[in-house]
Amino acid sequence: MFEIKTLLVLIPALPLAAFVVTAALGKKVLRQRSHVPLVAALAAAFLASLGLLAQVYRQSQQAPDAGPAPGHESAAYEKIVPLWTWAVVGNAYTAGEGKLLAGPAESRDFRIEVVLRADPLTAVMLVVVTLVSLLVAVYSIGYMHGDPGYWRFFTYIALFVFSMTMLVSVSNFVLLYVFWEAVGLCSYLLIGFWFQKPEAAAAGKKAFLVNRVGDSGFALGVFLIWITYGTLNFHDVKVAPDPRAPERTVVYHDPADVQNANLAGTQFGGVLGRTTLDNMAEHPRLYHGAALVAICLLLMLGACGKSAQLPLHVWLPDAMEGPTPVSALIHAATMVTAGVYMVARCAPLFAASPQARQVVAVIGGATALMAAIVAVTQTDLKRILAYSTISQLGYMFLAMGTGTLLGVAAGMFHLVTHAFFKALLFLGAGSVMHATGGVIDIRRLGGLRRVMPVTCATFLVGALGLAGIVPLAGFWSKDAILQAVRQEGTAGSGSTLYAALYVAALFTALLTAFYTFRAFFLTFYGPTRIPPEAGRHAHESPRVMTVPLVVLAVGTVVVGALLEWNRVLERFLARTPSISFLEGAAHAAHSEPGFDWSIAAASTLVAVAGIGLAGALYLAMPALLEQLTATMKAVGLYALSAGKFFFDPIYSLLIVRPLEGLARLSAWADRVAIDGLVDRIGGLPPALGSALRPFQPGLIPFYALAMLLGLLVLLGTMLI
Amino acid sequence: MTTLLLTTLLLPLAGAVLALGNGARARHSALMTTLVTLVLAAILVAQFPGGTDVFAKMDLGWLGAADGSKDSIGICFRIGLDGLSVWLFGLTALLMVVAVLVSWEAIDQRPAAFYGLLLALETGMLGVFVARDIILFYVFFEFTLIPLFFLIGIWGSEERRYAAIKFFLFTLAGSVLTLLGLLAVVLWDYYHSPTGVMTFSIADLTANLAARPMERWMQVGVFGLLFAGFAIKVPLFPLHTWLPLAHVQAPTAGSVILAGVLLKIGTYGFVRFALPMTPEGVAACMPWLLWLSLIGILYGALVALGQDDVKRLIAYSSVSHLGFCMLGVFALNPLGLQGGVLQMVNHGLSTGGLFAIVGMLYERYHTRRIEDLGGLARQTPLLAAFMVIFSLSSIGLPGLNGFVGEFLILVGMFQRGWAEAPAALAAQYRAIAVLAVAGVVLGAWYMLGLVEKVFFGPLRVPGQGAGRHGAAHGTAHEGAVRDLVPREVLALSLLVVFIVWIGVQPRLFLDPMAPTLEGLSRRATESVALAHGPAAQVPRLNGDRSFPEGHAAPSHAAQGRAARVPRLNGSASFVYSEN
Repeated sequence: MFEIKTLLVLIPALPLAAFVVTAALGKKVLRQRSHVPLVAALAAAFLASLGLLAQVYRQSQQAPDAGPAPGHESAAYEKIVPLWTWAVVGNAYTAGEGKLLAGPAESRDFRIEVVLRADPLTAVMLVVVTLVSLLVAVYSIGYMHGDPGYWRFFTYIALFVFSMTMLVSVSNFVLLYVFWEAVGLCSYLLIGFWFQKPEAAAAGKKAFLVNRVGDSGFALGVFLIWITYGTLNFHDVKVAPDPRAPERTVVYHDPADVQNANLAGTQFGGVLGRTTLDNMAEHPRLYHGAALVAICLLLMLGACGKSAQLPLHVWLPDAMEGPTPVSALIHAATMVTAGVYMVARCAPLFAASPQARQVVAVIGGATALMAAIVAVTQTDLKRILAYSTISQLGYMFLAMGTGTLLGVAAGMFHLVTHAFFKALLFLGAGSVMHATGGVIDIRRLGGLRRVMPVTCATFLVGALGLAGIVPLAGFWSKDAILQAVRQEGTAGSGSTLYAALYVAALFTALLTAFYTFRAFFLTFYGPTRIPPEAGRHAHESPRVMTVPLVVLAVGTVVVGALLEWNRVLERFLARTPSISFLEGAAHAAHSEPGFDWSIAAASTLVAVAGIGLAGALYLAMPALLEQLTATMKAVGLYALSAGKFFFDPIYSLLIVRPLEGLARLSAWADRVAIDGLVDRIGGLPPALGSALRPFQPGLIPFYALAMLLGLLVLLGTMLI
Repeated sequence: MTTLLLTTLLLPLAGAVLALGNGARARHSALMTTLVTLVLAAILVAQFPGGTDVFAKMDLGWLGAADGSKDSIGICFRIGLDGLSVWLFGLTALLMVVAVLVSWEAIDQRPAAFYGLLLALETGMLGVFVARDIILFYVFFEFTLIPLFFLIGIWGSEERRYAAIKFFLFTLAGSVLTLLGLLAVVLWDYYHSPTGVMTFSIADLTANLAARPMERWMQVGVFGLLFAGFAIKVPLFPLHTWLPLAHVQAPTAGSVILAGVLLKIGTYGFVRFALPMTPEGVAACMPWLLWLSLIGILYGALVALGQDDVKRLIAYSSVSHLGFCMLGVFALNPLGLQGGVLQMVNHGLSTGGLFAIVGMLYERYHTRRIEDLGGLARQTPLLAAFMVIFSLSSIGLPGLNGFVGEFLILVGMFQRGWAEAPAALAAQYRAIAVLAVAGVVLGAWYMLGLVEKVFFGPLRVPGQGAGRHGAAHGTAHEGAVRDLVPREVLALSLLVVFIVWIGVQPRLFLDPMAPTLEGLSRRATESVALAHGPAAQVPRLNGDRSFPEGHAAPSHAAQGRAARVPRLNGSASFVYSEN
């Protein structure tokens, strides 16, 4: 009953059903019970995801369905489930001499199908998404209690989970783009959830627009992929005449059918399919061209938008205007990792173009460092966490930028662990807000550990996880990233670059530990300070909120070591078809789990140093803090950090204002110049008429005189 | 089926007479008429078989006999549906129901005349899309002008007279030139016809001109004449200035119809006449046409961004969206053409809906100024929800209809630029393709900006203190303003159904029109190859072929040349200058 196909369809279908039910009945019928459909659906979807993970794991360990790819020892597993055909435009592209398209010379249909896929990468993402969604949904029952938009909140969240699960399970670029924008829409709606607040409405719009800029890059990349590869599918398909009606064609998606040599038909290699990737090995020149670099960079622009990387990170801090569970789910654990997922999905393309890969690594490393520097001086707890998210996402891109299996697996590993500890930290911050009447400025808080012990304890676990203290989750995944980067830094092209990025990443780890514990100490330690807005709410949050915190805290403790053990995650991910082509994937199954003690020592050292510094400055020696702040102010570093590197004013000055000015100018010119010209032309006939009017005065003597004169002129010309 | 089409076409005209005689209950009879018309049209659309044949064909003698005898002048009453017209036909019938519903309470002066004109307009618009005779088409084309002239001039806002006259003169000036172009086609065909029969049938003319193309200069000239009328109707930059004025001054139903259907007559005319009859003319002007479309996209979006009037903003967004339609059409390949035609329908749904919403706003707050309004989502949450849906459709959010059209258009344009362009033009086409994507970003900016200012933030309604304190005053006002009533919800839901349907299952809408449009784009491709030479032998960016065993198919250019019939006017028997 629970085949992979059923599960794969069920996982997005459940939240979709919850969306429909809540949207239809929420306002009038369900009201304060609007969470019921969603929580039930997510619980089921989570179980289904676990089932899918187990199935995929078992299948991928068994004999691979199509045998190992030529030249590669690693086996891969994928299952393709086509649902319906979205759009077909016949004979859209004729490949041939002089055309860019690489592939058999023939006419191709533009054919987009709604196709889902199951492979290790998707299975891992689905489990993370559904688990965090479920916990956040349960937490929101308490957090959103009594809000007039209660039903609306759960409707949007249901739509989000549907879109996000689809995003990670579709198998072509068009649908990836569709759900990429769909999660953006949910983000827009949820950031602006309290639309009466002008800041929230503006933040929603900003998020959408900045993402649109990134998405336009993504779209350009998709168009170039179509031009270059003549397909937008991830997987290979085989197009054959329909056995029942030969004039029609039928498309086979399942790898078993596609690989089946007995099945007549034309095989079209998907962008990330076996055919294309095999060719990549045989025709190295084909996949190292300018088109591939352009495609990768444009896709990366899309990823920069969604995952808040430089230079498109500016929307994420503002997105904190949304309800805190939204920040935890969408803007920390799941949606913002879509960019990382996309780069991991397209890993072979990035791996094949060193320039693009290095750009990804530099963007990731620079973003990680920049955001960590900014986080040091922020005073809004949620914004600190937002910048921390940007920074950690930067880590993941840095790992992706290595282009090796080690790096891609480390990036995905960090994505998983980060989902736990960052969701935990955000929900903890939400718990604080719940108790303090919405106040989140850490300068106005203090000593909350006495008031809310559970929140404090779980927040501490999350903070240790983020700082990377052994044996918590962040330690393992961060070390994996550092290891991958350092490996690239030892030899090969761009080794100096990766070596520099390794140092930057270590420094970022120091800052991470520092700002995390600065926030923790200021909020939960020191003299008890509770703002007056808190009223009589200054107590621990209800059970429905603390239980998800505890679950996430347990996850933060165990998930890192669990996945690190025997490098199980890396070896599982290596069975994803596209990832299986990466350097090192072939040997992943055999190689000994290498644990680098020197990196572990270094990262632990900087983490402890960061925590110690935070403790020293904020708990023990306030005088030193003032001195240090003064020095930093004198150097200008403080202003840079507090001013968030001035991205917003610079964008406003260079892009937004000039465009708005141009818009007003155009509006003016349209009214005055273009329409003015039209009116001027329209005025010509009457003007001509007015000019001629004196010649028709209606006086008989005038006409008589004119006739006479005319006659004379006529006679005169005839005589001469 | 044939009589059904005729009935559908004439029913609104009968309804118009009924409405005129009905006085106070004119709106009820108008609603009944449009609903029955919609049902009939839906039956026709549902029965449409696809393929290239004309569906529900009917030929009646008119100024000449329908049998095509040599003595008659050959102007006939020919109607029918094909892949190009079928969705526009259905869209017209759908939007008319919406137009009647949004006028329900708004029109209290002389309702009988209003609904009579509205229904007469419906016959005119349906006629434009079903006409298969050039003169019949032109008659319907002009016939749409008159009711709309009165609708704007009588029931419009403050500057209605000026707007109506400007709209009328602008369109008339263009359409007279278009008539000249159409007549030139007929006469050219007559002089070169081996049978000596003068035909006005669009199908016959298309087929004849495909077999015996006009000379290149002649095609360019005729295309220029056709362009004059259709480009004004679309409108293409810089012939667009009548549009915002007409939209702002028109009553809501007028705006819905104008944006939803009447603008499409221009794009429809290009695809119906210019592409098949003067393909080389189109191909010769192609770079210019693409640049004009692009300017329309970007300029329209920028001007929309600079507006302070809701209705005017949406009017300029139409300029931008129609630029996308034309970009797709003039990309002259299957993707672009199908995307362009689908986008015509999409624009009708989304912008028609947006104008309906603006009308509903105006009925409630009596202002269209953006700065007078704010935070309306609190007072009218349903209206706000619909506004968000239509805005998202308009900015091309995936999952809704606008995305499908824009995506196909852009893929088509990219293909034109990267794979199908001659070397001399490749850079231009690529620049156009990339810049058009920027239009998508600008579109999101002005639409979401509008939603944010009008519907989000603290409540601000006219007659209250502006600024943040408006919220406090607004609460007192809250009871006075109603959210949408069921009639309005029905009107908007009709559109939303199709907005979602096209977005999720576009194949259902693309497949019926594909065969007709494929034929068109095949001809266009050949002409492009003739006009600009074959696609450039662009050095492959990737350097190598992935499938060395793959063999090259003959390029379109070669096929085009081979298929080309020698020009008949070169031979001695067709020297028409001596006649």
